Amino acid sequence: MKKEITEIKAVDGYFEICLKINGLTKNLKVKNNEFLLDALRRYGYKGAKKGCDTGDCGSCAVLFNGRPALSCLIPAFSAHGAEVTTIEGVGTVQAPHPIQEAFVQAGAVQCGYCIPGMIISAKHLLDANPAPSEGKIRKYLDGNLCRCTGYVKQVEAVKLAAKKMRPD
Amino acid sequence: MNNIKRYSFPRTPKAALSVLLNKKANAIAVAGGTLVARTLPETAETFLDLKNLPLNRIKKQGGDLVIGATATFDDIDNSKPTRSWAGGVLSRAAARCSSQLIRNMATIGGNIARPHSFNIFPAVLLGLDAEVKLLTRSGAKTCPFSGLYSPGIAPGRDSIILEVIIPARTKNWVCRFEKFAKTEASWEAYLTLFMGVKISNGSICAARVIVGALSPKPFRAALAEQVLTGARPNPGVIEEACLELARGLDAARPHKAEEFKKEVAASLLKRFLESLGCSGGRKPARM
Repeated sequence: MKKEITEIKAVDGYFEICLKINGLTKNLKVKNNEFLLDALRRYGYKGAKKGCDTGDCGSCAVLFNGRPALSCLIPAFSAHGAEVTTIEGVGTVQAPHPIQEAFVQAGAVQCGYCIPGMIISAKHLLDANPAPSEGKIRKYLDGNLCRCTGYVKQVEAVKLAAKKMRPD
Repeated sequence: MNNIKRYSFPRTPKAALSVLLNKKANAIAVAGGTLVARTLPETAETFLDLKNLPLNRIKKQGGDLVIGATATFDDIDNSKPTRSWAGGVLSRAAARCSSQLIRNMATIGGNIARPHSFNIFPAVLLGLDAEVKLLTRSGAKTCPFSGLYSPGIAPGRDSIILEVIIPARTKNWVCRFEKFAKTEASWEAYLTLFMGVKISNGSICAARVIVGALSPKPFRAALAEQVLTGARPNPGVIEEACLELARGLDAARPHKAEEFKKEVAASLLKRFLESLGCSGGRKPARM
């Protein structure tokens, strides 16, 4: 029978947590006042960006147990046992994900700071809904702020990605 | 969070309550953990994470609509039972809270656990005569939402919210939720308004007008409701109800400078009542 409650304890202000990052099991040592975004970046996952640090801009978005979430609002220790996917787990320069290709082809990237978060949100949408309406795309991207563009190219990029990802 | 020494994640509400009631643990209960995580009291030593509790189901039960405490705003936005209840007002309210990334995390239980003017759901739940089922030290207990913040209940301190129950009688009410804020994604609204009526033979047999965001707890505009109950929504009745709503706001507004809120609330109520169609206006849009 599963234990009704699991508890981990901090030693000298640090928690030892075990979680899956991009499909690989990792053990991280995190401070009790640290947020997941800072812990991820400290361990080399720098794709998630630190923008507002208050949950407003979406540049820190990661998939947390399968859903896009704001890693700047998640206490790092509470990721113990979780599955996290960062932009590094979506695609690489050598083998980009179709959404990443679409963002490049649609010219949706200017400074690029918001793009990892946007791709995480877009991936979640397209995995669940292969042919989303423009309204749905805009709704799913509404937490990802971009200060360079007017969002038109990013919406086009998600439409293009949907086309690329749909089986013929 | 500097003093957090333990991270507990219970799998049952009973286990969660046992941690909460253990005064030595000095626990703080967190559900979705959106705004709360950054504003935890420094005295908390145990972070009690409720997000893994199996309480996220949304279902119809005995004619009522039952929403589990850990159902996220996104779950409520996209669930079939909530979309079909009272014109989808619960889904509509959920969809108007902040951004999608927040809606993926924030839960209905967390949104109602403590009174706060930011909260979206209290106005809707008060309007739909909701009840809240809690697990307390003496067992499960159901209380009307209007009594949730009474002394002795204290969800998140002495009890755990299990589910929200929307009574069957509200299923076919015509309802609307309006949020008046700086931007659609703003956490803080200047004003939220829940309006709901039950219409029978062209007359309003039940009316709810709830004002949120002006104070930590939403309040009923009782005089406006009185004007509407039993009346046909003709221009005279609509005008009188709007006037009473404005008077109700006058009494509640903390700052006299916020005169515009009175105008906004009255206009939103007028639009809603005119859309009912009984006074020759448009039919209410199905949400």
